[in-house]
Amino acid sequence: MSAADVTATPTRRPFTGRRVRFGDAALQLVAGGAALGATVLVGLIIWKVIDGSRPSISKYGLGFVTRVAWNPVVGHELYGAGSFIFGTLITSFFALLIATPLALGVALFLTELAPRWIQAPVTALVETLAAVPSVVIGLWGILVLGPALRTNIESWLHSAFGWIPLFGPPSAAGASIFTAIVVLSIMILPIVSSISRELFLGVPPELKEGALALGTTRWEMIRGVVFPYARGGIAAALILGLGRAMGEAIAVTQVIGGGVFIHWSLFSGGDTLGSKIAASYQGASTDLQSASLIYLGLILLVLSLIANIAAQGIVRQVAKKHGVTRGGHA
Amino acid sequence: MPKLGTSIRITSAVAAAALLAVVVAGTAGARTSHKLSTISGAGSTFVSPLVAQWISPLGAAYGIELQYSPIGSGGGIAAITSRTVDFGASDAPLTPDQFSACNGCEQIPWALGGTAIMYNLPGVKNLLHMDGPTLAKIFSGQISAWNDPGIAALNKGVNLPSTKITIAHRSDNSGTTYNLTDYLSSVSPSWSSQYGKGVAVNWPVGVGGKGSSGVSAIVASTPGAIGYADVAFALQNHLQYFAMKNNSGKYTTPGARGILAAATSDQKPAADNSLSIVNPPKKFDNAYPISTFTYVIVPLQSKNATDLKHFLFWAVTKGQAGQYTAKLRFVPLPKSVLVVAEKAISKIHS
Amino acid sequence: MSAQQLTGGPDFRTNHLVRRKRVNMGMEALAWLAAAIAIAILGIVVWSVARKGWSELNLDLITKNPIPFSLTNAPQGLSNAFAGTLVIVGLATLMALPVGILIAVYLNEFAPPSIRTGIGLILDILAGVPAIVIGIFVFVLLVSGSGQSAVKGAFSLAILMLPFVARTTIEVLALVPNSLREASLGLGIPAWRTTLSIVLPRAIGGIVTGTVLAVARVAGETAPLLFTSSLVGTQTSWNPSHALQTVPVAIFELSESPDPKDHARAWAAGFILLVFILFASLSARWLATRHARKIAGR
Repeated sequence: MSAADVTATPTRRPFTGRRVRFGDAALQLVAGGAALGATVLVGLIIWKVIDGSRPSISKYGLGFVTRVAWNPVVGHELYGAGSFIFGTLITSFFALLIATPLALGVALFLTELAPRWIQAPVTALVETLAAVPSVVIGLWGILVLGPALRTNIESWLHSAFGWIPLFGPPSAAGASIFTAIVVLSIMILPIVSSISRELFLGVPPELKEGALALGTTRWEMIRGVVFPYARGGIAAALILGLGRAMGEAIAVTQVIGGGVFIHWSLFSGGDTLGSKIAASYQGASTDLQSASLIYLGLILLVLSLIANIAAQGIVRQVAKKHGVTRGGHA
Repeated sequence: MPKLGTSIRITSAVAAAALLAVVVAGTAGARTSHKLSTISGAGSTFVSPLVAQWISPLGAAYGIELQYSPIGSGGGIAAITSRTVDFGASDAPLTPDQFSACNGCEQIPWALGGTAIMYNLPGVKNLLHMDGPTLAKIFSGQISAWNDPGIAALNKGVNLPSTKITIAHRSDNSGTTYNLTDYLSSVSPSWSSQYGKGVAVNWPVGVGGKGSSGVSAIVASTPGAIGYADVAFALQNHLQYFAMKNNSGKYTTPGARGILAAATSDQKPAADNSLSIVNPPKKFDNAYPISTFTYVIVPLQSKNATDLKHFLFWAVTKGQAGQYTAKLRFVPLPKSVLVVAEKAISKIHS
Repeated sequence: MSAQQLTGGPDFRTNHLVRRKRVNMGMEALAWLAAAIAIAILGIVVWSVARKGWSELNLDLITKNPIPFSLTNAPQGLSNAFAGTLVIVGLATLMALPVGILIAVYLNEFAPPSIRTGIGLILDILAGVPAIVIGIFVFVLLVSGSGQSAVKGAFSLAILMLPFVARTTIEVLALVPNSLREASLGLGIPAWRTTLSIVLPRAIGGIVTGTVLAVARVAGETAPLLFTSSLVGTQTSWNPSHALQTVPVAIFELSESPDPKDHARAWAAGFILLVFILFASLSARWLATRHARKIAGR
């Protein structure tokens, strides 16, 4: 979905100053009800998630957010979100770090550098990857990527650079934070790349040609015209990608290996907020454990909402700056 | 290009519709459930291989469709407590708190099996020996390589490689974990004080897997790994397992003989119908020390009482027959336990 | 930079222009490299999934039920999962479609500008809630205490579909020319009739597009179904009041199994799912362009 503003140019005036027929009122009521329903739904989601986590909130308060612990042993129960928030942030940021240059590279390649005949197949490839469900990417991650990373990259990095704490002993069977980062970057690559491509295509050709006519090289034109013009949109795309990475639970839980403590090594197991919920909710045997898992969901919801609203804010600013941008790029 | 693009897209639309049609036709051909009633249960992965064998004959005998979801003993207890299912299954007996939360439930022993300590050590084909204290050291991380003197001492003459040991434990609340930690606590005072026994403990080392399949998957794919699950999983995945030293000094494996011998060490179920046959005293010299009964948890009052009773009576009698149990190394319930089980089942009413 | 510098005037020709050209070549090479790496990765993933999935495809997958812990080599498949997916996705579409269209109608035909922005914001927020949180929400709201069912699973998917359907319908409704509405009103047709019989039918192509895209989106969703429809049986059932197995959940469970035969089934099912989603997205795109051309009157 493009980051373009949802509120299209107003074409309608509300039906004011007109004799209101029953049918009109009825349709407006029903349609308005649906709109109201959506609003209520959002509020209900937020409320129910808070409600479900209440036993854990009242027991642990905000200390839950920083505590690194998850001990479900009855009689010694102690829960905390610290290691999972860490896992979520580490995996999402590293995934974004890897995916961004690649995505921008593909987008630039498709819009400025590639010969025309390459554009269709490459775009098709990116679209195909976007269509792969996350559970299938996770399946591929468990059976293909994980073992390949473990044998080829993790062991080499550990033996060559093992003195750096980031590169600890290779993981068992390839289930590690590192594999999760690679999986996430593959998943957000298509999103960031398609949005960037649309943004680059939306740069007015006159601006680009004008710069080239002045004698700039292609790179200088890109750096001086395309990037500044698309800067806001790209920022929004990145934040959108970040939000997507933070919210991904299934593919991550399949490849991340599980674990509570915060390790330096990228090759150790771990969990993110989403992956911990996906792994543990079904077997949660006490009310406190269930509530704590929902508390994790609440924290994830807050983080996603922040990312989402930030992206929306940037999109709105960009729209204001460039006027309404509903370009026809079929 | 537009023309090519359009025809690709029209083809896609047609193909999507065709795919849908094929799937609908195919699934319509499958045996749909025309059964009269459904009994749903969830819980222990330990007993799930055996319960899976019961699905088909139960349907043939009573027209009952049995649905069982192996989500771990902890999940099973939670599911039956919230009455999301008709029965739960757990290898770990319920605590008094769990009994009161379940509000009118009883636990009934319905199968007997053993936990295999399975490992993946390519190149070593011998049946390796292991004893309790050494196993506790392995699981607590004090022994971390296969050629450690502690392991070598038990396996003289075997060429043990220096491969690192990777522990595969359960990430979910597991009755098999309870069985193992019950055993480790009884053979190792330091394990007992540091980690104790339970459906989940604070594992100091290792990788977590979901369910017995998850643990088996880790062991199967990681050279040097050691994990634990019902012996049926080890057999199904062609994984080797240790011969454990029991209190009489013999090394036994989780087979019919070892498990049955362990079962004779506790023939009288307690008031809550639980039995404890872990690490039997030395007079049971053939016993496999990590054996366990496993329980079905049912509410005394259930709207599916008739079907539930048919199912459970069948399970503890015909369901224990060799054709279902032998290949999976489950052992038919001893007579004294069977009597108690049948009495408990008859208490279920609607 | 002065014009003299830019055009590489006599004093700077050799130094700056050459250097700028080198920088340009370097950056272009980097972009090519980045694109090549990205394309290689994407290609490897798609190729890997396609190859493994294709090689494991067989008809048993959709005609036979699963046999857990089978001690024989009897043929088995995932028929129950395919049936369940059809039921749940179908129900979800029935739930999301009318509500999404109504929201779009309200926003486009009735709402004053401030409310329009507000509802747009609500839809965007809804679209940004992670699927697993939706799963938690429906669990707390409907499942906890009363059990799972396909309908509850469909409800959770419908929540995911709603923003998609609403957004595309809004965009398509906005494309319907005002002249059409004014002409209709001028003829004395009431506003509600105009909307339902004149405006909406013009937008039907876009609505179908949005729906197909939304279906493609949720056909592969696993997380919400783990909470609402995961304690299931092995027999194929079309009964929505029971919890039904679905393809994504089946793949998820099979992926964590140690048995290579389970993996084979997971690949095959994943392949079918991927192919369906891909075809659906492509055809939706086709419908969109064709329809946009039609409305705009070309």
